Amino acid sequence: MTSFNSQKLSQIHHDLHEHLPSEPALRAKALESLLIEKRLVNPEAMDAWIEMYREEIGPKRGARVVARAWSDPAFKKRLLANATAAIGELGFAGHATGHLEAIENTRETHNLVVCSLCSCYPFSILGMSPAWFKSNEYRARAVRDPRGVLKEFGVELDDTTEVRVWDSTSERRYLVLPQRPEDVEGWEEDSLARLVTRNSMIGTERDLSPSRRNR
Amino acid sequence: MGGVHDLGGQEGYGPIQNRGDAQAFHAEWETRAFGMAQASAGDSDWSIDWFRHCRELIAPADYLTRSYFDQWMLTLAAQLIDSGYITLAELKSGVPAFMPKPGYPPATAEEARAFVKSVRSYAAEIGSSPLFAPGEIVRGKVSGSSGHTRLPGYVRGRKGTVVACHGGHLLPDASARGEQKAEHLYTVRFAASELWPEAVDRVDHVFVDLWQSYLEGV
Repeated sequence: MTSFNSQKLSQIHHDLHEHLPSEPALRAKALESLLIEKRLVNPEAMDAWIEMYREEIGPKRGARVVARAWSDPAFKKRLLANATAAIGELGFAGHATGHLEAIENTRETHNLVVCSLCSCYPFSILGMSPAWFKSNEYRARAVRDPRGVLKEFGVELDDTTEVRVWDSTSERRYLVLPQRPEDVEGWEEDSLARLVTRNSMIGTERDLSPSRRNR
Repeated sequence: MGGVHDLGGQEGYGPIQNRGDAQAFHAEWETRAFGMAQASAGDSDWSIDWFRHCRELIAPADYLTRSYFDQWMLTLAAQLIDSGYITLAELKSGVPAFMPKPGYPPATAEEARAFVKSVRSYAAEIGSSPLFAPGEIVRGKVSGSSGHTRLPGYVRGRKGTVVACHGGHLLPDASARGEQKAEHLYTVRFAASELWPEAVDRVDHVFVDLWQSYLEGV
């Protein structure tokens, strides 16, 4: 049975540090072969997970959701009211999105998402999180120096634009709904989706207008 | 717990590296570590909060220097050792000494595919009505609880405004001890100027999801 004993776990981590190679590739190999031999993991299930997060589940899903919200006001309303149900309409609900909330950027506000305590992320809609999202630097600084962080990502805001930082401390997850660019009048949903970046749905990118990119 | 993982607002961290990097995995071992942690068998009383707590218990120097997937792998190994399914000696030698009977069996490929599509709720029925209402001023408790908790250090003792009440949600502090307990969950808005001395003139806010026992009235 699980001990639920913090002291015991600390000791186990200490022992793992002492006795296993420091090279993670070697540890991964040792652990994987032991788990397979002891039938604690099914290699086909491992491959399924890896394949899903390499091929199928990624930020293109989130981009599709954003483009739909930009094109269909009724969908946008549903998304802002209950994002889990709304992404379910597109078949994207699932892993870590059971309590999803969409937060909308406006002219006056900019939203930025972080998980300061670990690395919570809405996997089924954005795929695997980028390495910087999980970094100590981002986790430490996003809540305290969001403007400095945003500047490093090329987002400059004036002093009157309110930055709203969302720290994912519960099972609720956040998806930033970026502003629809002004210079995309008449664009189809597919073309709009291609403008939407992963970073814009986390909040480290703001202006998605096509003319900005061509500049 | 007031550990090294509680990074929010800690000073001394430099620029964000690899900002343009969009790769899911950067080495083959990372994919294997991810697959193992997701597909592994486990104990019947396993919870995501216990997993998070076990990650927090990685020795501080390792926590700050070993990468995300490495931490997942260490956490998985530690949990399987804790539950008695594997031993350190087996890991060192590579020779299995016994066959364990895990509380829940390893996932099949079909189950893995179904899992990513299943919508999990952490909401739970709760008999009492919420203590705080939207618009009310609350304060993060100074001491918090020992063990696993989701009350970040930077909001302890700080005043914020309740902006939403989400009803009962499983309390991570209890789940990480193997108990099932629900409490009202709130989203609380903190002014940057309340949290950080250098932010006195800023219009910015930080929104944090906090359970009722993390808060006190003002």
